[in-house]
Amino acid sequence: MHEFAIAQSIFEVVCEQAIAYHAARIQTVNLRIGEAHGIVLDSLAFSFEMLASTEPVLAGAHLSVEMVPYRAYCQHCANDFNVLNFVVQCPVCHLWSEEIVSGTEFQICAMEFEAAPFD
Amino acid sequence: MAKVTIARNILAANDACASELHEYLRLHGLYTLNLMGTPGAGKTSLLECTVQSLGAELGVAVIEGDIETSVDAERIEQAGARAMQINTRGACHLEAHMVRDALAELDLTATRLLFIENVGNLVCPAEWDLGEDCRVVVVSTTEGDDKPAKYPQMFACAQAMVLNKLDLLPYVSYDPTRVKHYALAVNPRLRIFEISCRTGVGLDAWCQWVRTLVTSAPTLERGLL
Repeated sequence: MHEFAIAQSIFEVVCEQAIAYHAARIQTVNLRIGEAHGIVLDSLAFSFEMLASTEPVLAGAHLSVEMVPYRAYCQHCANDFNVLNFVVQCPVCHLWSEEIVSGTEFQICAMEFEAAPFD
Repeated sequence: MAKVTIARNILAANDACASELHEYLRLHGLYTLNLMGTPGAGKTSLLECTVQSLGAELGVAVIEGDIETSVDAERIEQAGARAMQINTRGACHLEAHMVRDALAELDLTATRLLFIENVGNLVCPAEWDLGEDCRVVVVSTTEGDDKPAKYPQMFACAQAMVLNKLDLLPYVSYDPTRVKHYALAVNPRLRIFEISCRTGVGLDAWCQWVRTLVTSAPTLERGLL
């Protein structure tokens, strides 16, 4: 539901970076998103492509997303485990963990682009 | 084709604004709660009750967030607190820049407690930091008792949950034990308050908790560090 607002944040950063790097055309924006954010990738991609179509330097640009699994560490078992349905409970000893290992990432990592030719 | 590293959080702009807001609110001696929950759960009713109980003692102001209308801000003003309405005109959640703009219009004289009533929504508000000190999610007995399982991120990010409309329990098939079980599964530290804004049951415990949050927060002289 909020994927459009998130796409807007990404769009604004990329537009700013396109100016900074004198980009002629942005091809790909690389993202790293943890599963804890519950982002629907299809909605995010659709929203971004819609916004990109309004800006010539972003025409045809698309997102490349690395999804990071939601994992926690159990101090009692000294082992990582997958967090299912946001329940941060060790499947072995059933104690709750407060140490999240991965899954909260929310980053614009890089962008790939064609540079504008020098005058 | 060139590739450059950006390495920026997607919501960095919002987070920077939220961080400035947090600093501003603390400098002005305010404790801020972000009140979230389903449309119709009773967020505004809870604020009306809280204003009536704590307004004279603490000085309460409210920033109201809705897609349209100023109905909720008017209710808060009727209850006796200053309110500023944000109309998002379609956005399903509040963002830090909206709160910043609303604060510029809100008289915070003699105010120690600020509530931000977020847009009714159990999904999107969880993602946006508004500079608050504490997050509370409001649900009610007229919804499903499996809400924390269906919308876990909202309950995982909150410090407290208020279960409202206890007075309607005899008329609905709602199991308070079940909703608490689901809520604590995603957030074992969640404080839970069971109340009825209509009858007043449970409101003393809620108000006492809020009072303690405000009075035990680090105090700063207004305008001075």
